[in-house]
Amino acid sequence: MFTIKKVINRTFQLLLIAALLTLPVYAQEDAWTYTTTDEHPGEQVTLSPQEYAEDRNPPKSLEDLDPMEPVNRWIFEFNEFFDFILFNPVGFVYRTILPEELRIRVGYILRNISEPIVFVNNLLQGNVEDARITLARLVVNSTIGIGGIFDVSSSLDLPYKREDFGLTLASWGVSPGPYIVLPILGPSTLRDTCGRIGDYAFDPVNWWAFFDDKAYYSYGRTALQIIDAKADSHQIMKELEKGTLDYYATIRAWYIERRKALARKELAGDNTETPHPDDED
Amino acid sequence: MLRKIFFTVTVLLFCLQTTASALDPKKAELFMEDIGDKVISILANSHLSIEQRRSQFKEILDTKFNLRAIGKFVLGRHWKEATQEEQELFLSLFKSTTIANYASRFQEYTTEKFEVLSSRLEKDGGVTVLTQIIRSSGQKITIDWKIFEKEKELRIYDVALEGISMGITQRSEFSAVIQNAGGKIRGLLEALKAKVQGLTQTGQIQTEHPEYEQ
Repeated sequence: MFTIKKVINRTFQLLLIAALLTLPVYAQEDAWTYTTTDEHPGEQVTLSPQEYAEDRNPPKSLEDLDPMEPVNRWIFEFNEFFDFILFNPVGFVYRTILPEELRIRVGYILRNISEPIVFVNNLLQGNVEDARITLARLVVNSTIGIGGIFDVSSSLDLPYKREDFGLTLASWGVSPGPYIVLPILGPSTLRDTCGRIGDYAFDPVNWWAFFDDKAYYSYGRTALQIIDAKADSHQIMKELEKGTLDYYATIRAWYIERRKALARKELAGDNTETPHPDDED
Repeated sequence: MLRKIFFTVTVLLFCLQTTASALDPKKAELFMEDIGDKVISILANSHLSIEQRRSQFKEILDTKFNLRAIGKFVLGRHWKEATQEEQELFLSLFKSTTIANYASRFQEYTTEKFEVLSSRLEKDGGVTVLTQIIRSSGQKITIDWKIFEKEKELRIYDVALEGISMGITQRSEFSAVIQNAGGKIRGLLEALKAKVQGLTQTGQIQTEHPEYEQ
């Protein structure tokens, strides 16, 4: 008992330190502007000092972003175990009773319900064009698409673009902070954990559920989201695990890289940290 | 007069140099289209055994990728710490795990469509070709390929799935394995050896009972 308490205490201490270290006090002071030559030639691109620094001096290795690795590995093992005893059997039943076509529909409905919080995040990021698209998607899919069962919008050139509060924080210049494995929910960073809480708290659909005394709805939706996501990625994750030497390290790298790619959006024009002919010599 | 000639020659030399070092994005797109067609034809051919499939992927890997550069990048700072013997062993193991991995992984993907979307010249002289795979469920996966030209030959140097660079993620994974083995590259080599054996075995089991694989 004593040791568990110690681990929890230590984790909170580290979390607090990490939170203080990643406070966005120096974000957006003065921005760097340069002209791109890649995707949109001649366009001015403005980066916050932090993004600029990250752009020029990428962190040496991903391990540096994981100061709590022993605790994270422990929670990761716990999650694997939890998958084994709960989510894998549930997912198996889910995949067995629902044909793939229907599972895709469930995914669309869940995505349609999440559209309002995407809209909120579009606005928080100051991206009016995306906000317009998200709103149009929500209206079209909820009516013509019958509550989101059919993704009519995508065929009307209104593509779905994922946004969350973690990405909004990123657009404000908040760095990811340390990598954290959340119990049950899985890989995250300090920034994305705050983002998750923000998304949950500001989701208009959750507000509606809360004031309409339908709290069970939020839980049900969250549970269904987890099951849907796990059923969707089940095959890929299995393949991935089979091919790796260190599953934990691979998931960590995939998560961090994926979030980086989502956060930089079309600014991705500077893809130079790759193998290079000079490596050969 | 002499000055003018000197100037023209300098300009000419400069032009030649830039055309030699920077790769034409259109050329890289055609190169990727060709590879896409090849892979699709391998996948579409259901008569191939896993062994034949593996040997065809090996050929693509040998002729279209620069595995030496990728291997070196993926080993990161540990490359310099390794002896020459360890480096060579690593490269051969890296190659066989990559082949075993993808040959077994591609088995499930039979009805995919591969499309080249666009390309862009990077600051380091390479070209990123943006492509997408459309799965049978309609799901789209974007794949970016980093291509360089060296000695008139185009080669793939990195693959990014949905923005996730395989080079960076594998470097991180290998570094974690080495770290857990007490900083010894031997630990990684042993793990890779075990993986190759494991993958070749499961590959055989898979061909016998594809649908029971849970």
